[in-house]
Amino acid sequence: MSLVEAPAQRSRLGSSADRVGLAALLIATACLVAIGGKWVSGPLTSVVVLVLLAVIVGVIVLAWRGGTEARRLLAPYGLLKPGMLWLGLFFLAPLWSLLRISLSTKESRFDINYNFSWAFENYQTAFTEFGGQFSRAFLYAGIATVLTILIGYPLAYVIAFRGGKYKNVLLGLVVVPFFTSYLIRTIAWSTILSDEGVVVSFVKGLGLVPVLEALQIMDNGRLLNTPAAVIGGLTYNFLPFMLLPIYVSLEKIDIGLVNAANDLYSTNSAAFRKVVFPLSMPGVFAGTLLTFIPAAGDFVNAQFLGNPNTTMIGNSIQDQFLRQNNYPVASAMAAVLMVSIAALVLLYTRLFGTEDLA
Amino acid sequence: MNRKPLIVRSGMTRRQFLARSGALGAAGLSLPALLAACGGGGGDAYDVFFENWPLYIDPTEGETIGTIDRFAEATGLTMKYTEAYNDNNEYFAKIQPVLGAGKTIDPDIIAPTSWMAGRLINLGWTEKLPLADIPNVANLDDGFKNPTWDPTGEYSLPWQAGMAGIAYNSDAAGREIKSVADLFDPAFKGKIGMLSEMRDTIGLILMGEGIDPSTISTFEEAAPAFEKLEKAKADGQIRAFTGNDYTDDLLAGNFAACIGWSGDLFQLETESEAVKFVIPEEGGTRWADVMVIPKGAKNIANAAAWMNFVYDPEQAAQLTTYNMYVSPVKGVREIIAASDPDLAENPLVFPDEATSSRLRAFAQLSDEEEAKFDEAFSAITGA
Repeated sequence: MSLVEAPAQRSRLGSSADRVGLAALLIATACLVAIGGKWVSGPLTSVVVLVLLAVIVGVIVLAWRGGTEARRLLAPYGLLKPGMLWLGLFFLAPLWSLLRISLSTKESRFDINYNFSWAFENYQTAFTEFGGQFSRAFLYAGIATVLTILIGYPLAYVIAFRGGKYKNVLLGLVVVPFFTSYLIRTIAWSTILSDEGVVVSFVKGLGLVPVLEALQIMDNGRLLNTPAAVIGGLTYNFLPFMLLPIYVSLEKIDIGLVNAANDLYSTNSAAFRKVVFPLSMPGVFAGTLLTFIPAAGDFVNAQFLGNPNTTMIGNSIQDQFLRQNNYPVASAMAAVLMVSIAALVLLYTRLFGTEDLA
Repeated sequence: MNRKPLIVRSGMTRRQFLARSGALGAAGLSLPALLAACGGGGGDAYDVFFENWPLYIDPTEGETIGTIDRFAEATGLTMKYTEAYNDNNEYFAKIQPVLGAGKTIDPDIIAPTSWMAGRLINLGWTEKLPLADIPNVANLDDGFKNPTWDPTGEYSLPWQAGMAGIAYNSDAAGREIKSVADLFDPAFKGKIGMLSEMRDTIGLILMGEGIDPSTISTFEEAAPAFEKLEKAKADGQIRAFTGNDYTDDLLAGNFAACIGWSGDLFQLETESEAVKFVIPEEGGTRWADVMVIPKGAKNIANAAAWMNFVYDPEQAAQLTTYNMYVSPVKGVREIIAASDPDLAENPLVFPDEATSSRLRAFAQLSDEEEAKFDEAFSAITGA
């Protein structure tokens, strides 16, 4: 379990420091998870806090007294500690408590205590009653992700290769609208797309309404509160998360590589397909994750730009948690969402993941 | 739900308010935090703490002295007043873990809608009012005595009341709208708004179906309204289920018609002549937001002093001229008639016999039945 390859000649204290460091890390994390997950209560909490402090102080003393060798061996664990403790308290403990509540039942509707009872029916409810919201969430987020690639990639390409001295200005223009609150930007779209608003009047003036209705973008002469508006809102709101990683990966491509391809009788499009695009894949990959994951859990766009038939799973989870007080089912839905996103991302990584990203 | 008067005479416009409160809802922040951030809100020294719906009380401005300041002047008591009560269900979710665990929440008075007050009273999460210290309770309008949510009348006193009916934009609708049936007219496909407040939406549809919402006791009796709503939603008739933000969609013409609250009419009229409010032919629903004292509140005597103060007709009249809702206090009309005869004749503020007879309050449901209603409604709103 050694994180560092230890040299052959090491002191007795030094060799044990390695194991002590690991043990301290694990014990400290366990203590925080125990506190965060409410495994302990009352006076026992103070005991756990004392153990946690004792472990940390103990390791510091060991590093202090043990000399260079011990410090060298302890360093990796010490550096891991802030991250591990953070994850323990703010990820592992809440996750544990989420899973626990998702398998619990309440005696009555207004009960504040949950009885853990392996209540898998919560998951059944999540699937049977909210299946539509799950599939819509993935469908809308998927379409929005594809759209952000289609819009973001050419834009990033132009900025990276043709931006010249205006590169930073152009990037700034992309990012500036996002200094405004997410919510304000989304609500602004409901004004822009409203029935008597500019966009609808323009489309009507051009006589494009039947075309857009045939494409299922408009519904009964309106743009707002349609699936298209929700997907459009997601696309707009997550565009920078796609554009910036693609820009970063394009920007570091040496233009000389394209020249070399041309020298080898490659056409420009072949050079793009075989050189530039593969080299920019890490950006597309990262952008996809940054866009798809939050978009699938989003509830703001569906709330302000959608209608009652376009709600996404985020809306349901929010409603179950904050209005229906149904924590068990809400937790089950959150867990299902998390697991399905993780599965999709793993699948995606398998299919398209690049070595560079690892 | 978000029943707040829309006549805004303070510095913050309604639009700003909605944007901020919307941001709040999404970010899950608390209103006190926002107020603190805005530099509003006083220190911690107060004699009584009232947590109420937003924009529900007259502020002090120029010559006009607001109710809270008049109260301070008359009694020497300082009131801390916050507007963190934004939605019955959300507020309940917030206080449930505290009151349910037998601890106390900070406010000495809160003003839930009557059905929520009924739930809190049933759960034993409210204190009995010291009615002996509230002599002005004699001014309580007869219509509010021994209400369904508080049969003995010992736990609650109405703050303001109002009605739900149909609000419509005559430009967008292209015709006059008179009945609940109009909301289901296919001509308005995708142009109809409904409230996310179950009792107002289902209550009004029940009236449209000829079923009295004040007498129902089981879900089965209300099932026709749920079926009708479900079908309308599936057909795309309903554009959105909203809180108080229906006013924006209505003004913008996104809603041809929607279910709305009476007090909002006055603000909307000043913004657009096209916007109208009617109590539908089939009748409307009425509701009340009522003051209760949460269990274990620290300043019960001062809370009683406040209730006594606002049940003085003179004081209540000033409140009514500000928020345009129905006052539960006797004698307000006579006082207002002296200064503003038109307002005194307005049936939406002072419902006459003819109006009252067309209004029904939603029945107080048992916990078990209410759960079925909430579940079915939540399934339809699609959230």
